[in-house]
Amino acid sequence: MTMVSDERSLWLARNVLPHEQALRAWLQSRRLVGLDIDDIVQETYTRLISAESVAHIRNVKTYAFQTAYSVLMDHIRRSKIVSFSLVADMDVLGAAAEDPSPETQTADREELQRLGEAISALPIKVRAVFTLRRIDGLSQREVAKRLGISESTVEKHMSRGFLLLLGLFGRGGKGVATSSKALNPKLDRGHAKTDRP
Amino acid sequence: MPRQTAHEIDAAAAGWAARVDRGPLSGGDQDRLQAWLDSDVRCPGAYARMRGLALNTERARALGPAFDPSRFMPPGRPTRRAMLWTGGALAAGVAGVGVLGLGAFHRGQRFTTRKGEVQVVALGDGSVVTLNTASRIAVDFSHSRRDIALLGGEALFDVAKDRARPFVVTAGNTQVRAVGTSFTVRRLADSPVQILVREGVVEITQPRQAGARAVLAAANTVAVSRIDRPMVTAAAVAAPELNRQLAWRDGRIEFDGETLDQAAADFARYSDTRIVVDDQSLGREEISGLFQADDPVGFAQSVATSLNARAEVRDGEVSLTR
Repeated sequence: MTMVSDERSLWLARNVLPHEQALRAWLQSRRLVGLDIDDIVQETYTRLISAESVAHIRNVKTYAFQTAYSVLMDHIRRSKIVSFSLVADMDVLGAAAEDPSPETQTADREELQRLGEAISALPIKVRAVFTLRRIDGLSQREVAKRLGISESTVEKHMSRGFLLLLGLFGRGGKGVATSSKALNPKLDRGHAKTDRP
Repeated sequence: MPRQTAHEIDAAAAGWAARVDRGPLSGGDQDRLQAWLDSDVRCPGAYARMRGLALNTERARALGPAFDPSRFMPPGRPTRRAMLWTGGALAAGVAGVGVLGLGAFHRGQRFTTRKGEVQVVALGDGSVVTLNTASRIAVDFSHSRRDIALLGGEALFDVAKDRARPFVVTAGNTQVRAVGTSFTVRRLADSPVQILVREGVVEITQPRQAGARAVLAAANTVAVSRIDRPMVTAAAVAAPELNRQLAWRDGRIEFDGETLDQAAADFARYSDTRIVVDDQSLGREEISGLFQADDPVGFAQSVATSLNARAEVRDGEVSLTR
């Protein structure tokens, strides 16, 4: 049973989520067959939320990439897929994860700007609810009263807002509406081989 | 249980994050959340990420009460997601728009549109009313006031300036008062009255509501108001969204991530041919694009192609199945 604390969740959102796009790009470049990037990413977060402590982590990006890599390896072992490109990948991992990403240096003000942009891009009803809840600081109940809609509708709009914002922050603005797709569904002979038992 | 997709897990995680955002979970909800978290190794991670994101957005408070979404639009960046479909849906062309002209005074005159019809009414004071599908107005002009009652449906009011005679649109319990401006009022059954301000400023009141205060809504805002509930504040709308909301003037209907169920309901305003979506998951698919409002069949066929579904035209309805 995994416990999810608010404190660690917030830590993930602030320290790992900004690297998720880079992580996805890196996973995408692995050209793996039959594995789903979204699955790998979610499981990576599960490991990060389950870790005893995160205080010792000096470079979050590298740590997140390593975690994703080990999730990937577990899947590959289980599915008996052998990817030659993957075996040689540990060096690439170092290179991809080490360069200090621009996101880590993002000033608070810029982050606020990005959040403002993201909220502006929400569909109108979601934005109306989200603005009252997050910017005006009303409770969901007060938002419902103010807009003359039910509390469960407010909850639904908030839910949709979160999902859309995740699409913006985690995937760079696309992919919200698309369902998850298998990684590189076409086998690329130049980079990967499958070896079935 | 079939394996959940990562997207389904994210959607469920967002649902839980919104529930927790509403207030402390009940004991039953707490158990359900934990059971869900334990159901798949991906769930705790997906939930933690979503909950963290939800908490992190609390800093939006720092944007302040004067937050104006239009200021946050980077120039040149499209604000809508790429359209899924174009072309075919528009091939039918723009529906004919009729124009009526009128004298300077109108006492108790009524104008109505049928389903799928858009009608432009030129009023004697120089104001122009564009009536959307299945809409009714009653016009009552005097020397001191220009009164219009929106009895149902939706209309765009382009108001000629006349300081001596305020222009007042009444939609049920909600009054919208303007001098020279452009705005729409929508009054549909079972929905709050919605006011969309395109230019200028309007004042919104609920005269029969005890203690109701007036709300000023400026250009690029949308206000929602409901009978027997207190007045509503306005939220800003960006220009592309505004145009989207006014697509009906050209006999079109535009979606931006609405569910298929919602889209089908919107089409029902414009046509008697019903779009029936039997499959629940299909009904939740998101739709984007510009369509001919009076062509639900063409819309359904586009959707079918795009979502790998089947569109079947029967008497008075078109059904979508997977």
